[in-house]
Amino acid sequence: MSSINTAHSVVEPSRTSKRIAATIVIAYAVITMIPLAWIVLTSFKSPPDSISYPPKIVFQPTLEGYCNLFTTRTRQTSDYIASLGAPTSTCDEITRSRNMVIAGPSNYWPRFQNSLVIAFGSTFLAVSLGTLAAYGFSRFKVPLAEDLLFFILSTRMMPPIAVAIPIYLMYRQLGLSDTALGMILLYTAVNVSLAVWLLKGFIDEIPREYEEAAMIDGYTRMQAFFKVVLPQATTGIAATAIFCLIFAWNEYAFAVLLTSGAAQTAPPFIPTIIGEGGQDWPAVAAGTTIFVVPILVFTILLRKQLLRGITFGAVRK
Amino acid sequence: MTAQPPVPSKQKRPFFLRRGPMENIATGLIGLGFLMLFQPFLLIFYTWSLVTLLAGTLMFIIVSKFPE
Amino acid sequence: MTARIRKRTGQFFRMRRFKTQVKSVTHTSSTILGEAVARATPVPIASRIRGLSDRSMAWLFITPAIALLLAVNIFPLIWAIYLSFTNFRANRPNAALENVGLSNYSRVLNDPNIWQAMQTTAHFVFWTILLQTLIGFSLAYLIDRKFRGHAFWTTIILVPMMLSPAVVGNFWRFLYQPQIGLFNHIVSFLTGIPPSSFEMLGSVRLSPWAIIIVDTWMWTPYVMLICLAGLRSIPDYIYEAAEVDRASLWRQFWSITLPMALPFIMLAVLFRGIENFKMFDMVTLLTGGGPGSTTEVASITLKREAFESWRTGRASAFAIILFVAVFGLANIYVKALNKVKQR
Repeated sequence: MSSINTAHSVVEPSRTSKRIAATIVIAYAVITMIPLAWIVLTSFKSPPDSISYPPKIVFQPTLEGYCNLFTTRTRQTSDYIASLGAPTSTCDEITRSRNMVIAGPSNYWPRFQNSLVIAFGSTFLAVSLGTLAAYGFSRFKVPLAEDLLFFILSTRMMPPIAVAIPIYLMYRQLGLSDTALGMILLYTAVNVSLAVWLLKGFIDEIPREYEEAAMIDGYTRMQAFFKVVLPQATTGIAATAIFCLIFAWNEYAFAVLLTSGAAQTAPPFIPTIIGEGGQDWPAVAAGTTIFVVPILVFTILLRKQLLRGITFGAVRK
Repeated sequence: MTAQPPVPSKQKRPFFLRRGPMENIATGLIGLGFLMLFQPFLLIFYTWSLVTLLAGTLMFIIVSKFPE
Repeated sequence: MTARIRKRTGQFFRMRRFKTQVKSVTHTSSTILGEAVARATPVPIASRIRGLSDRSMAWLFITPAIALLLAVNIFPLIWAIYLSFTNFRANRPNAALENVGLSNYSRVLNDPNIWQAMQTTAHFVFWTILLQTLIGFSLAYLIDRKFRGHAFWTTIILVPMMLSPAVVGNFWRFLYQPQIGLFNHIVSFLTGIPPSSFEMLGSVRLSPWAIIIVDTWMWTPYVMLICLAGLRSIPDYIYEAAEVDRASLWRQFWSITLPMALPFIMLAVLFRGIENFKMFDMVTLLTGGGPGSTTEVASITLKREAFESWRTGRASAFAIILFVAVFGLANIYVKALNKVKQR
């Protein structure tokens, strides 16, 4: 690893090969971004523009998609609309220009809030339990440690629908179906396996000597864990938390089978957004954009840890 | 081919008690199970794929306890 | 009362400490430093250091996570195994429960429709893995040329795999619309075929490829990232040695690059295999299994059995079959994981 990269080094690729590589990779990156760019573009189109033939690349941007996403509307006669006072907001104005009035808020915001509560709740629980277990596996001689770790990982591999059948029955018995608590517990269980594996890797990297020194100074094991190990593992815990958050945020199969109303999250809700005469694509696109932007931010924050995350901490680069 | 050392210093366990080769056989069995599950030719293979997969998986769990 | 309990537990712990201390005379499990300090210092501190191998402490840390997994994953699994031997129907919970032995399994394993779903899954798994591995490895190989700005472009490429498959599937449904969708127009721009002459999601011939395209778009970055790690794990001196031996670039690729990156490629292939074998969310939202049942992968069939036909017993048997298959692959995956870890 300590080889010096000089201009004439044999392992340094030539200029031409670099240029060709750059061209192809950048072309791929641009192509791969087209669908995402199209989502964002569509969210700023008016409904007629979004279904025009051929698709419009240049159009008059409007916030109609976002307005439709957050409101429900009813069609009214133009006389009725004229009898109303001046529009109170931009959305009001856009809606009235379509001969409609805002009837009330849509379900998007409550569903989004559910997503937030369930994602953050399960992430907090999974990371807490995961940190404890990872520390246990990293520092103590646990009997059958290999088998336990495999058992923990295998729970994440289970097909969601296969698990959903008994969970559905169990939650029906316990009164947990369609509750945020039930979803938090379920996502915590799925995420805790990732958290244990990832965090074990991170904690393995913290030298034991730190805690041993602290304990010679009179700390108990618990104090050493909280005051020495946890601060050292902050980066790892943060990365793990983001991974858990993204999983819980994106999850669909359990959410669609186990929730229907009160605790429904955004992913099962977004496809059900419909307008008059079919799917309201600008509103769907707006919902998708708002839903996806946090993930983009997290991906950029996580880029150095991504590899670790997707290989359960095995590949550290 | 160079001459083999005449007598190994340690008695080597027979292959069916060593982890490496047995794990490979179990892996092969699981792979075979998948082929049987996925193939479009004979229903009978599909019917017996579960047994093959189960056998491979159980074997894998058992032989992974064996020493190298 | 509480004081008494505290006193008792104190005694208990002191006893334990004494025992561990006696043990440690023969066992040397902690570090040399710890051992030396332990012999020289009075009991409390010594026990804290030897606490490193303390079993009860270990269980204290591990139990909460294990308990949760047992309650939310293993208990339901055992329940599902039990149900798979019965004729239970979740929409008639009060009907008499009958033990039907292995007949659920034999029904599922002789059902031509479920067999067909398996072949659909196989087609999907095979082509997605093939395409993702080819494109992913090529991209990784190119990014490993370390041109200027490669880190930035890598991050851009990685974005699709972080998104929600359900939300992505839903939006690709829009891109695939024959009249208004972008996909058809791009294809028509490149090939000259009129954009409304084909339907990606509506045609029996094209719909399996529609889901393969979306999955490849989404997960190629995953394979690429792992392959990149594999390529970067090859030390420079091997290439330098090959250069000294005047091995051609072609030769270098086949006898150094590919074999050394192979464990990483296997890791990516296995994980994508597991994930795509149980694929549900993206396909549900793209095609819902249709048209007809041309894209009905195993998980969708399972969902229909369990939550639309409500044949819970039979669905449980099917679920157990899928679980056994995934569990077998997971064993191999962990083996591959350990292989890569040693690098």
